[in-house]
Amino acid sequence: MNLESRIHAKLDGEITPDQHAQLEALLRNDWQARRLYLELADQHARLLQQPALNTGRIMQPSVGRLTVRWRASAIIASAAAIVLLALVIWPRKAVDKEATSNGVAVLSQTLDAEFSEPNVRSGDTIAPGKLTLNKGVAQIEFFSGATVLVEGATEMEILSAWEARCVRGRVRVHVPPAAKGFVMHAPDVKLEDLGTEFALNVKGRDSAVHVFEGEVIVHTKDKAPASLKVGMSLASTAAGVLPEDFLPISELQGLIRQREQRRFQQWQTWSEGVSKDPRLIAYYTFRHAPDDRWDRLVSNFAHPQDKIRAGGAVGAQWTQGRWPGKEALEFKRPGDRVRMNLDGTYAALTFACWVKVDSVDKKYNSLLLTDGYDSGEPHWQIYEDGSLMFSIGYAASGEKRITARYNQVYYSKPVVTADSLGRWHHLAVTYDNVSGMALQYFDGKEVGREVSALHQPGRPIILGPCELGNWGLPTQGHPFPIRTLNGAIDEFAIYHDVLSPSEIQTLFEHGQVK
Amino acid sequence: MSSAPPERTERLVLLLTQHQEPLFRYIFSLVACEADARDILQETSLALYRKFDGYDLSLPFLPWAYRFAYLQVQKHRDKAARSPLLFSEDVIDLLAHDRERMEPELNQRLRFLDLCLETLTARDKELVTSRYAMRQGAVEMMQRFAMSRRTLFRNLELLRQRLHDCVTRQLQSEGLS
Repeated sequence: MNLESRIHAKLDGEITPDQHAQLEALLRNDWQARRLYLELADQHARLLQQPALNTGRIMQPSVGRLTVRWRASAIIASAAAIVLLALVIWPRKAVDKEATSNGVAVLSQTLDAEFSEPNVRSGDTIAPGKLTLNKGVAQIEFFSGATVLVEGATEMEILSAWEARCVRGRVRVHVPPAAKGFVMHAPDVKLEDLGTEFALNVKGRDSAVHVFEGEVIVHTKDKAPASLKVGMSLASTAAGVLPEDFLPISELQGLIRQREQRRFQQWQTWSEGVSKDPRLIAYYTFRHAPDDRWDRLVSNFAHPQDKIRAGGAVGAQWTQGRWPGKEALEFKRPGDRVRMNLDGTYAALTFACWVKVDSVDKKYNSLLLTDGYDSGEPHWQIYEDGSLMFSIGYAASGEKRITARYNQVYYSKPVVTADSLGRWHHLAVTYDNVSGMALQYFDGKEVGREVSALHQPGRPIILGPCELGNWGLPTQGHPFPIRTLNGAIDEFAIYHDVLSPSEIQTLFEHGQVK
Repeated sequence: MSSAPPERTERLVLLLTQHQEPLFRYIFSLVACEADARDILQETSLALYRKFDGYDLSLPFLPWAYRFAYLQVQKHRDKAARSPLLFSEDVIDLLAHDRERMEPELNQRLRFLDLCLETLTARDKELVTSRYAMRQGAVEMMQRFAMSRRTLFRNLELLRQRLHDCVTRQLQSEGLS
């Protein structure tokens, strides 16, 4: 009688004392035996509780039996209610520890903005601290609801969601009713906003205020608080405040629109050039064909246009891409994907795409995957920790499927983190079958470089039937894993060659939002 | 017996409701007998009810509950120390320790178990339903399936082993990608 049989006998209560002693000795001395036992015991325990079979005959005799046993001990009747309730309701998934952030505001829009602080970008969450704008315009939305428009050379200090300081420069503050009480500090003065819009100009030790709308309470050191109403200004000697000096929000929005249109046009011209690259296998720019009545065609724009390599959207909906007017496909539901069939055998590959990831919420989050996972087929995904994961495998001779031993997986460092969610980023990977080097890029910068120990030169790379944003037709007999990308893609280029780091950098620069 | 205030009790009911299944699996793996495991689960629920004041709501519930379950398992063992069909204290200890480390993996295995159940033949499904859902005893099942006791348990063993292999395979191919 082997270990397995002894374990099963134990689970069935059919074990003899001798066999039990033998089983115990095995468990005591061998961790692998314990592992097998624990796996089988857990499976058995689950079956005892939830024999999930579609026979429509699932009964719950255990609850009835328990009730009888419980009634026998009246002392603990109150706890019995707890346990019985616990027995009939199926458990839900435990909640993980909640993520936290120390942000108090969002940098919602910028126009030609340059900050002294490194790595400040539009869309960032801002924690309390200094924010120095050297040029351009920036819009800051505080979590309290107040919005501050900062223009030109301005030094600000963000104190909380309810409080900020203007050290020098010009700001325009809008406070909706919900953010009433928002306080803006300036040298020698404190402005308490009672639901308004006002402008503040600070030069050296002097500040000037002008109220466009509503009311502001001005607190100064020596005098009693003064109320400042619509159209009123308060200025000390050196700093003047003229309403027309302050950029109205509507104008900023207009300027931003204009810039976006300009960027979109620039990209279109650039993209025309890209599409003529002879190294392209396919180039999807997600331009929605106006004559496509089915609305599902994802055209391949690589020259000369090969209609066979067009993609077909399934489920995924059209949405706005990097700029207004630029289209993208959004992947949300488990079925969403773009199907493609890319014939040919290749010696090298580059995948480059613009993606906005809304959440990395699955173990594997698809970018491009071939159907199944057979020899020579690449998979490119975002792993649960936010790293880019490129993999390719070659089955052992005589086998069709790739086992873990033959799987070459390349991870970048984690790049899709909380900070990069909800924004457009450029992701790329290059791989060639001679050196075996997989290089991965995030926004034009190298984030992963590796050669697998399993690499053998010269083995072919195949795409065939594949898809963007999902892995819906996995290997036969494989459970249906949900790997839908939660996000949107608005450009995807596939090359049969390795693009150089500087070429990837150029792709990023010409395609970036601003 | 001290009793917790009503809102705390509600909290415990909720927590027990959420965690009753993993708690049962934990206990079962240390005693491998359903009736014993159910008894110990009840004792554990009571112990948790009594000691609930000492529970820090900001901490995960299961590790806290496992400590009580573990003590109840040892207590149960002491009561029936002579039985040759119970694991010794040191083996229980080893198993409890290993199991806590393996827990994420065990949970992952269960995700695949449902899929693997679907791949069983109609006859195997019958066996599962009879043994697990209807809780039929050996004699009843021997009659129903016209099998000897030996064949019946042999079949159950093979069936569970097939499920286990299927889950292992699925897990391996998911590890790939």
